[in-house]
Amino acid sequence: MSEIEIESRNLDLWYGSAQALKNISMAMPEKKVTAIIGPSGCGKSTFIRCINRMNDLVKDCRITGELLFEGTDIYGNSVDAVELRKKIGMVFQKPNPFPMSIYDNVAYGPRVHGLRNKEELDRIVEGSLKASALWNEVGDILDRSAVDLSGGQQQRLCIARTLAVKPKVILFDEPCSALDPISTAKIEDLINTLKHEYTIVIVTHNMQQAARVSDHTAFFLLGELVEFGKTKQIFELPEKKSTEDYITGRFG
Amino acid sequence: MKTSERIIEILLFLSAATAVLIVALILIFLLKEGLPVLVKVGIANFCLGMNWNPIAIAGEPSYGIFPMIVASFYVAIGSLIIAVPLGLACAVFLAEIAPSWARSILKHAIELLVGIPSVILGFVGLVLLVPFIRDHFGGWGFSILAGSIILAIMALPRIISISDDAIRSVPREYKEASLALGATHWHTIRKVILPSARSGIVAAVILAMATSIGETMAVLMVVGNTPILPAPIYDILDPVRPMTSNIVLEMSYATGDHASALFATGIVLFVVVAVLNAISHKALKSKMGTRR
Repeated sequence: MSEIEIESRNLDLWYGSAQALKNISMAMPEKKVTAIIGPSGCGKSTFIRCINRMNDLVKDCRITGELLFEGTDIYGNSVDAVELRKKIGMVFQKPNPFPMSIYDNVAYGPRVHGLRNKEELDRIVEGSLKASALWNEVGDILDRSAVDLSGGQQQRLCIARTLAVKPKVILFDEPCSALDPISTAKIEDLINTLKHEYTIVIVTHNMQQAARVSDHTAFFLLGELVEFGKTKQIFELPEKKSTEDYITGRFG
Repeated sequence: MKTSERIIEILLFLSAATAVLIVALILIFLLKEGLPVLVKVGIANFCLGMNWNPIAIAGEPSYGIFPMIVASFYVAIGSLIIAVPLGLACAVFLAEIAPSWARSILKHAIELLVGIPSVILGFVGLVLLVPFIRDHFGGWGFSILAGSIILAIMALPRIISISDDAIRSVPREYKEASLALGATHWHTIRKVILPSARSGIVAAVILAMATSIGETMAVLMVVGNTPILPAPIYDILDPVRPMTSNIVLEMSYATGDHASALFATGIVLFVVVAVLNAISHKALKSKMGTRR
């Protein structure tokens, strides 16, 4: 078993007085894909948004417990959320390219971090688009608006944009829920390739997707972690009754 | 039932038509009163003429409003130079940074600013601003600078509230995407949020300019009203006479061609404001497809 990259210990989260996460403890290993499944409102997106501190944007959001990245508490006083997000990238549910050219979208992150050298930027843009399997489709239209791309292409562009920052972890928050089956298959292939270099955490409500792409699976229900283990084991021999009910489609 | 519905529909249509009719009537009236002098003097001579001398004691009267067209743009652009940076900064603070309590206080203050009658602003300008400029910057005090400052105060609320709306309507996804890439909040505002809100902000600025050009009372009281170009042309401490002031100042005693020339000034003003409004409208429309 490989090294642990991210680990949550007794993590609780409240929105105002409503508790959205209850005592979550789980460890996500390095360069593996960890899937988080569960019905809508179970807290899976909330959990993944803790990892890159996107919940900082939400008012009245309160967190207790520990969430460790490479051994340091993500919510520790010395941690700068901006620095953290360079290492932990995120791909969102709805493809959200900026209303700029394809090139500028991918170059956005490196530019944010101070890179001005044109050749270097070109190299990063090309590399990131190749890594996200988009280069063949957009290599010669880099100055076209990203908004004109199809939904699936936009989502792969968002992945390229994330790769350009050279993160260690990529969080996927239901990345295929707005996409057609063919685009979905492309994204899943991509995740299978990316996991050799990145630690991946993916939230999905599509159980087949979790089974196809992940090494480990966590099942969330009503803000609680019901079961966490090897994907094969969760899908073939779940320990808990509610996990079995969910993956066999009895509710959700 | 059927007939009563029909009557109500007709009444509603008539109410709606009234607004259009009024605009049309005003335009027709302006043209009827102003066209004779435009034809007589020639549109080019009227708009580009340097000399406004409507009641010539000796010789021919002359009707050239070029210095006033320049004056109108001068004070309006001057007001934008002051109000746009200030208004935009305020809008960014309101939309992105202010906690809700600060936002509600500011919003109310801005609404109060809108409610101040322009004559009061003009009066404040007259007794405070004009002497201040005279004492500290020199000149007569009544000046382009004074007019621009007063107009800037009037333009601020409009620029703030339209820009605030534009910034708040930028999709949340853009902001999240930028932050998730490790950008700071300020960087996100500068590189993603403001560019995405650009069309709304441009519309706000042009609309503010149109209103500034059309504003009369407050400007009239502080701007000095001499119908000549400032000399040298960039001297913002010189007095000028915008088109609006020209109409108000001379309407009470003008007759014949002179009165007609004032209406013609109104036509020019009407056209300028209409064009600016159209541009502003177009800028807002182009927001639909935010692309580059």
